[in-house]
Amino acid sequence: MKCYMCSLEKKDTDAVAICIVCGMGVCMDHLVREEVEVWEGGYPFPAKKLKRKLPRILCKPCYSVYHEV
Amino acid sequence: MSLMKRSLAELVGTFVLVYFGAGAAAITLMIARGASPPSPPNPFNIGIGALGGLGDWFAIGMAFAIAIAASIYALGRISGAHLNPAVTIALWATKRFPVKDVGPYIVAQITGASLASFLFAATVGIDAVSIGGLGATAPFPGITYAQAILAEAIGTFLLMLTIMGVAVDERAPPGWAGLIIGLTVGGIITTTGNIAGASLNPARTFGPYLGDYILGQSSLWHFFPIYIVGPIAGALVAAFLYDYLSGD
Repeated sequence: MKCYMCSLEKKDTDAVAICIVCGMGVCMDHLVREEVEVWEGGYPFPAKKLKRKLPRILCKPCYSVYHEV
Repeated sequence: MSLMKRSLAELVGTFVLVYFGAGAAAITLMIARGASPPSPPNPFNIGIGALGGLGDWFAIGMAFAIAIAASIYALGRISGAHLNPAVTIALWATKRFPVKDVGPYIVAQITGASLASFLFAATVGIDAVSIGGLGATAPFPGITYAQAILAEAIGTFLLMLTIMGVAVDERAPPGWAGLIIGLTVGGIITTTGNIAGASLNPARTFGPYLGDYILGQSSLWHFFPIYIVGPIAGALVAAFLYDYLSGD
């Protein structure tokens, strides 16, 4: 799979990840990696934040939409 | 999350439960004041039911249901929103809740319930104590001590069984617990409220008892063991029975 963003720029780059939201293939230059907190449990027990975090990869357009408030 | 924060969440949740739930019972009695007794006199008529029969209990039950659902959705992830010493003890007894947290949770629940009763009296005035009794629970005329304990035990049995099935069990569908548990309490109050008040919760009874004792000089403490023994016994039986039934 090729990086969709690169292809728009007439470049031919292999994708290294897929956006978890839109499924776009992205290269290292066009991905945003975030560590998302993971919580376990809930009613009737207090929720606990786990030490391990969940890596989440987004393409830049989806990332910007998520952080656009 | 620190124990202090979790205990504070329990205090707030139980406050909401008693202020709005027991408060609804007190307001119902105040609304019913002056209603003519039925003829021939009905020993069960102490005010509740004089206006709308079982509908009054349904309204009180719905006030509890909404307050419980709101507390569970608002605070469930913080403290677990037990709001009830019987639930805390049952979860501890089945090895789901640490023993060191049991005492602070129960103290917080009792404190929240007491604060709710005093603030309800401050909000409404002395009629809330002298007429509404702050929504305190007691066996109705003709109901024996043992019958009251049995009614409280059976009611809390259903409450705890529901908690086990819709919240504790990992197979339960997520997101429904607050609504279903709230409605379950509402249903129990509607159907068994006219037996012993359907407290299902030692803290819910403690708050109004303390308020009535201090503000109204009326003591109902001789009934308090009903609301300790019944709910705790019912919750324990339900928790252990559910574990037995759902085990391999």
